[in-house]
Amino acid sequence: MTSKITRRNFLAIGGLIGCALPFGGCSNLNGVIADRLGAGIPKKVSVTDGAEIDPVFNLLSRAGFGPWPGDVERVREQGVKAWIEEQLEPDKIDDKICDFRTRRFESIFLDPGTCYEFKREALRKDLCRYHLLRSVYSKRQLLESMVEFFSDHFNIYIEKGDCIYLKATDDRSVIRKNALGRFRDLVIGSATSPAMLVYLDGKENRKEGPHGIPNENYARELLELHTLGVDGGYSQKDVYEAARCLTGWRLHSGSNRGTAYFDAALHDDGEKVVLGKKIPSGAGKKDVEMLVDITCNHPSTAKHIAKKLVAHFVSEEPPAGLTKRVAKRFSESGGQIKPMLREILNSFEFNASAGTKLKRPFQYVVSCLRATGADTMAGDPVLEFLTRMGHGPFQYPTPDGYPTEANPWLGTLLWRWNFAFALCSNEVDSANVTLDSLCSAIGLESLHGTQNAPDILFAYFAGRRPSQDESKTFRQYAAHRDLNDEKVRAELIGLILSSPAFQKV
Amino acid sequence: MPAQTRRQFLQRLALRSETLSGASDSTLVCVFLRGGADTLNMFIPYADDTYYKIRPTISIPHPKSGKGSDSSVKLDDFYSLHPKMSAILPVYKEGRLAVVQAVGTDNPTGSHFETQDQMDHGDAFKKTAGGGWLARYLRARFGNNLTPLSAVSIGPILPESLRGAPGASAISSIDEIRIKAPCENPAVVAKVLTDLYNADVGLLSAPGLDTLHLLKRVESLRAIEYKPSQGASYPDSGFARGLREIARLIKADVGLEVACIDLDGWDTHFIQGSVSGLQAGLIETLSDSLAAFDTDLSSRRKQVTTLVITEFGRRSYENGSLGTDHGRGFAAMILGDGVRGGQILGHYPGLNEAKWVLGPAGLEVMFDYRSVLSEVLTKRMALQNSQDVFPGFQPQKIGIVRA
Repeated sequence: MTSKITRRNFLAIGGLIGCALPFGGCSNLNGVIADRLGAGIPKKVSVTDGAEIDPVFNLLSRAGFGPWPGDVERVREQGVKAWIEEQLEPDKIDDKICDFRTRRFESIFLDPGTCYEFKREALRKDLCRYHLLRSVYSKRQLLESMVEFFSDHFNIYIEKGDCIYLKATDDRSVIRKNALGRFRDLVIGSATSPAMLVYLDGKENRKEGPHGIPNENYARELLELHTLGVDGGYSQKDVYEAARCLTGWRLHSGSNRGTAYFDAALHDDGEKVVLGKKIPSGAGKKDVEMLVDITCNHPSTAKHIAKKLVAHFVSEEPPAGLTKRVAKRFSESGGQIKPMLREILNSFEFNASAGTKLKRPFQYVVSCLRATGADTMAGDPVLEFLTRMGHGPFQYPTPDGYPTEANPWLGTLLWRWNFAFALCSNEVDSANVTLDSLCSAIGLESLHGTQNAPDILFAYFAGRRPSQDESKTFRQYAAHRDLNDEKVRAELIGLILSSPAFQKV
Repeated sequence: MPAQTRRQFLQRLALRSETLSGASDSTLVCVFLRGGADTLNMFIPYADDTYYKIRPTISIPHPKSGKGSDSSVKLDDFYSLHPKMSAILPVYKEGRLAVVQAVGTDNPTGSHFETQDQMDHGDAFKKTAGGGWLARYLRARFGNNLTPLSAVSIGPILPESLRGAPGASAISSIDEIRIKAPCENPAVVAKVLTDLYNADVGLLSAPGLDTLHLLKRVESLRAIEYKPSQGASYPDSGFARGLREIARLIKADVGLEVACIDLDGWDTHFIQGSVSGLQAGLIETLSDSLAAFDTDLSSRRKQVTTLVITEFGRRSYENGSLGTDHGRGFAAMILGDGVRGGQILGHYPGLNEAKWVLGPAGLEVMFDYRSVLSEVLTKRMALQNSQDVFPGFQPQKIGIVRA
């Protein structure tokens, strides 16, 4: 359920800004506004304490970045299927509160030419903060999850060349625009996206002759990573032919700096054969569309994308049955993303594997901020934790994108624990938590005399009651300690966020 | 990077002994001399008369110049050592220091930034392999599971060579490696986490316990004042303190595989000095620190390899302001057991600069720097295929490591 911003609430925003501005930037202004609009921590939050992870909790943890306080009961009331359908139509979800938090990052909304007027450092921060804040505060959680997925699938490393000036446009016009649309539109958008033309050298790709030679870099990744997959059954000749199709795309300098155009003089307009399909000569810039259709219609692409989606939402070892069903949805719908997501999120496998998949550092940090109902503008201290864990947004150098598997991330636990403790004791500058509000919302106005307080807190964060071992550990910790002491409470909740249970979805 | 299957993962857990699961038995310490070091005044081609002709003011005196402690120290019939490097002489004589002459890049720009960037990324000129070379190594090397301290750089920020490494840390000392518990008693927190990770039946048990184990070791290190072994005496400098922290981490067996540290200030365009002066001070710091590091790690020499590189050497001629301008080839230093030490490897290309057309002149580059890195990674570290770190590059065989 989404709360519409009413006229009265809008006036409330105006009033708040009016009183806050003279004090020169009230740091939790956003938090105050969010509270007024009913997007802070609700007065009452129920806790699910079954032995297994609650399916609604699982859905919110895997289809998005974990529940915000109160989300679980909202979705339960709405119904799981209805929530999924709502999430599949993100434009119909009112997201003004998140927009309000993120609209200050102006470079995100500008064309590349204007971005060139910014310093790299400013652009980098805007991109990272925007990405993080939308993941934390957007009500379009599934969209944000797919944005993360496709940002890795069509990875662009913003430190390469001019990518940093061009990524905002790629994020807006390719990734976000099509993240729940048709897969081929993503591929076509990406193929001619200025950032991708720089990142994988497409702008250097020209027909054999005095002005250059074909550059296969993008064509190879198109087949190997973006569409068919490495074992998808293409040949080196296909890579070369695909590269020929893509010759001639360049970037403007001067007034349209950083926008792409097609230079027919540099395009190889001869006939090409890709994956056994003919692309006739003389098609010019239409070659891209024909090439992308050939690759997207290849059965290997359906399998490859299905497998990656299932790995993202279910398990790094995608169950074969589900993968097959999802690939079928891809093929029968002409590569529509929504039917695939519907298949995954409503599947048996989606629930059966709850709590077995390691959160990557980004998801971990975002889920901590969401679960605690934190008020943050994602300043440097938050981003530094991500960098330290090797998961800064758009900072992955190679085109395969940040890995999905758990293994490469197993060395990050220490920094996760330190993030949890720092967040809970309000030591992360630029992120504020109010653990007392959270505790009273889940019925722990006072932690005194509530022997099972640690169990209740654990259940709130983990979506299930603690196992005997877990319960014993936390009770031992809590015995002889004053849980109403601010530091002790911060430590206890920090420990819950540090526990194996909260590392996984 | 091939996806690791659950079975492989479990198999590895089963094979795991008492050591940390990510712990490696080899450690690479990368020292980068930022600014372009004039290695011609460190390893002096004293038998080449041209050297003295074209460096009338800044050359280092011939071993037989009769200038006492100002004379360079003879290494062989051709090369001698800067007198301020005498601390490293025993290491060289005992065969643990190999020097490769005329190493460099194909970068013709003469730009510090571009050349350092290219080298940190392990690239060819204008060809991007993606990320840092050490990060690619960590992702490609056998096993591939890392501890929080697999990769460390000493200083405020991570160098580009570690760009893309999962969980690399920039620290100034091991004091930063701790759990910052809100109630200020990390032992209490560690106990709770130990119980929790012990009880985890999934994939997190081993890495969680490893991390806690590692923290315990670092904690016990912190409790006692660090005493370098064998009476090693580090000079009083930030660089030496950094090496000392690296030695401490190596001896703590926390799984350190790659450590990066910089020594800045080598851009000696102006009054470079000779036996004393600007560069001599740096040379002394470098040599004294490396010698102390070698002594301190005398029980770990099999495990540790130290690589000393710079972005380019300098011009063979001294310039009008008694310094040297940006050049090309430089002498790389590799320290550790198992290197073909006690000699200057590679060909001396001579000081004739005329044949250089592209970019700044200087010592002609005989070995691409990636040949050095590649040999160190494949022969002293756990890299199986050089292509995983330097795609498309065919390394030349140098023979730094004894067969």
